[in-house]
Amino acid sequence: MRSAQIEPSTRRPDSRWLATYAVLVYLFLHLPLAILMIFSVNASRFTVWEGFSLRWYAEAFRDQELMESTLNSLIVAVSATAFATLAGTLCAYALWKRASRWMTAGLALSLVTPEIVTGISLLAFFQWIFRYFDFRLGLHTVVLAHVMFSVVFVVTVVLARLRTMDSSLEEAAMDLGATDWQAFRRVTLPLLAPGIGAAALLAFTISFDDYVITSMVAGVDSQTLPMALYAMARRGANPVVNAISTLIVALIGTLILVSERLREK
Amino acid sequence: MRQFESQRLKLRRRFGGDGLRALFLTPSAVLLIALLGVPMAIVFAYTFLTRGTYGGVTSAWTLENWQRLADPLYAGILFKSFAVAAVSTLFCLALGFPLALFISRAGRRKGLYLHLVILPFWTSFLVRTYAWMFLLRDTGLINTVLLKLGLISQPLPLLYNYGAVLLGLVYTYLPFMVLPVYATLERMDRSLLEAAADLGARPLQVLWRVVLPLSRPGLRAGAILVFIPCLGAFLIPDLLGGGKTILVGTLVQNQFTTARDWPFGSALSMALMGVVLLLMLPLARKDGPGGGDLL
Amino acid sequence: MRRRTFLMSVAGAAGCGGRRFRLNVLNWSVYIPPEVLRQFERETGIQLRYNVYESNEEMLARVMSGNSGWDVVFPTHYYIQPMREMRLLARLDTTRLKNLGNLDASFRRPAWDPNLEWCVPYMWGATGILYNGRLAPAPKTWSDLWQDRYQGRLTMLDDPVEVFGAALKTLGRSWNGQNESDLRAAKEQALRQKPLLRAYLNAEVRDQVVSGDVAAAQLWATTAQQAIDAAPHLQFAYPAEGFGLYADNTAILRESRRPGLAMRFIDFLLRADVSASIVRGCRTATANGAARALLGSEIQALPTLYPAPGTLERGEWMATPTVKLQRLRDRLWTELKSA
Repeated sequence: MRSAQIEPSTRRPDSRWLATYAVLVYLFLHLPLAILMIFSVNASRFTVWEGFSLRWYAEAFRDQELMESTLNSLIVAVSATAFATLAGTLCAYALWKRASRWMTAGLALSLVTPEIVTGISLLAFFQWIFRYFDFRLGLHTVVLAHVMFSVVFVVTVVLARLRTMDSSLEEAAMDLGATDWQAFRRVTLPLLAPGIGAAALLAFTISFDDYVITSMVAGVDSQTLPMALYAMARRGANPVVNAISTLIVALIGTLILVSERLREK
Repeated sequence: MRQFESQRLKLRRRFGGDGLRALFLTPSAVLLIALLGVPMAIVFAYTFLTRGTYGGVTSAWTLENWQRLADPLYAGILFKSFAVAAVSTLFCLALGFPLALFISRAGRRKGLYLHLVILPFWTSFLVRTYAWMFLLRDTGLINTVLLKLGLISQPLPLLYNYGAVLLGLVYTYLPFMVLPVYATLERMDRSLLEAAADLGARPLQVLWRVVLPLSRPGLRAGAILVFIPCLGAFLIPDLLGGGKTILVGTLVQNQFTTARDWPFGSALSMALMGVVLLLMLPLARKDGPGGGDLL
Repeated sequence: MRRRTFLMSVAGAAGCGGRRFRLNVLNWSVYIPPEVLRQFERETGIQLRYNVYESNEEMLARVMSGNSGWDVVFPTHYYIQPMREMRLLARLDTTRLKNLGNLDASFRRPAWDPNLEWCVPYMWGATGILYNGRLAPAPKTWSDLWQDRYQGRLTMLDDPVEVFGAALKTLGRSWNGQNESDLRAAKEQALRQKPLLRAYLNAEVRDQVVSGDVAAAQLWATTAQQAIDAAPHLQFAYPAEGFGLYADNTAILRESRRPGLAMRFIDFLLRADVSASIVRGCRTATANGAARALLGSEIQALPTLYPAPGTLERGEWMATPTVKLQRLRDRLWTELKSA
């Protein structure tokens, strides 16, 4: 039972304040991004404007390793998001039905652990395993690590949304003859979809941007973009870093616009 | 007839529901046990070992690492870190809630606005932090503009203090607040708001007494998702705080890097995690559906 | 992993020839320019996998397992002994290095590995003061950095070794704290300086000195050179009381399955022309004497990296203290930071 979708915002008096506020916050969020973009086309290596130039973009594309790192990051983020969202949504649903102290404790633990400790612990764990199996660190270990620390975020977001839902809907469905699986799939899941979407978005972002844990469990061939950027940026302003960041944002931004357009249709 | 039906329902809920539920919990359970439980056990074991001369651990059992924790120096650091994290969380709450509200009311453009919140975060967080350093420096953009406009005569010390650290933390963790709150608000039953308005409540009252309480799950979730990472943050406080003060995240980080004292670092982390978990205990009540506050 | 195999097999099928040789090299960032890496690949047909790190600890964490997949690493000199003790390094057969003679005389029998059995010196550096040349008078000693006139425009490195080292120098003691009282005195001295500091920063401070936010910074010579390249009004000083010296060395990991290829890489780096290209590209101070001869007058133009002969006498090689002293040092560092 969904009440009417939102009334046009112009009719609400406080909406103008809200809109102004939103604009300010978006400016705040995007200001560093604008700076990045501007300096990605700065001819000088340092933060003094010396004229317009695209040389850093050219350099970024010439850098094989940078391109490969980006690809690795995308692969890892997509895989990790898929698994984490799946596991997390199911887990959140189960917790919604009936709380589980162990599960809650486990999830809380994964959230509370400092990144360096997660990294060290996973490294130690993998090395221990690798003594018995002929494996090395690689993209697979990175994906595993990312799934592990993303799950709690997915669960939190999805559960928060579930808590706003009326559990009697499912019961009504079951009264009408549906199995619990059908009730879940046909009733709860569709209503949950935006929450799952938000959770997946969060998981993807966390995974794509992770440095500390990734650097500890990555293997020889699995350098990700944050690792590459970290190495470059740590030595001082490097416009290639700005260039590649701008490219990624432009790419993702375009993808979003396109997907929004498609969804509106 | 009705009694029989409700008995069937009860049975179904007990056994049928449980079967599905166990299945649903399995992937996450396996994940956590294998990739969190076992590694954590290893780290816990580390706390009782001795540091290797150059890093790592040697198998010499000791309680020394735990005894070192009793030092008031570390308690002071922990306290400072809690304060910083708490203030950051409050700011995120204050800034994030109206934004989430705006997005949830935006109609068709909801998805777009949501994505716009996330967009800056696909750049490396290190790069974003450096951008902030550029903005806040004495010769940075903000000071330059203010000086040119004649609003100030000396550059403002915007960088390398707690203010800059808070700014960086709030900036980095705002989406972690916005997303859960949005997820809650989006689902909100509008008819409740209309009912309140019909009963004579002004928009602000509706907000304060209807919307806010209803979005509590999201707010609580967001608060946790912001507070905890802020507590363990080290890069942002280091870069924006100029390394002049040490917070618990940096302290732990140091133990695993420059100090090369893994056992002590493990003990510190365990202590930190323990304190946080204790704080979260009252929030994680074992209630029925829709009852538990957080997870 | 599967993607890699797939791509490799496609590349192989596309006629890239028989077996592809691979070498995995882990190095400090900005220590080999990409062109030099490509040159190696072209000349030898060996494909390089090249990753970078920012600190010895990071490198150690990655290779400590003995099963990391890396072949060649570049530890700083005071890490050679520890890595030997941890059985991480492979013994070198230097008779296979044709270009070993190119090494500068002062690096042929280094204190940390006199017979060059474990490593080959690569680049060296020192910690000094980068400052705005327009400052008068210019800072020439560590003690200068304790003066009020730099209030708020001074930075030191975010590293206990460097900060305590400089403090010890102002007190007339050795850069490497030898005992408890040394370290405690260093901490007190550093505490006196802290109110003057803008921040404890590492390489990030480079941009701030260039833009003028910071007037004087404790910094490594290589990073300082990069700053001077961008802003010629900056200058670098090797403090009169003394300073810390370090040298990064090339070493082969014991776990490496390709020691032959690794030796070829080391030999390549020892070539005079290659080392000269690296110096030009990365602005570093090389241990390669033949390269220095090749660079000739260009060296004269880099006093920051290659100071006058007498200057380096004042330097002290950095050393790792005992475990007990290390622990005290880290504790004092925490106290300093929390103050």
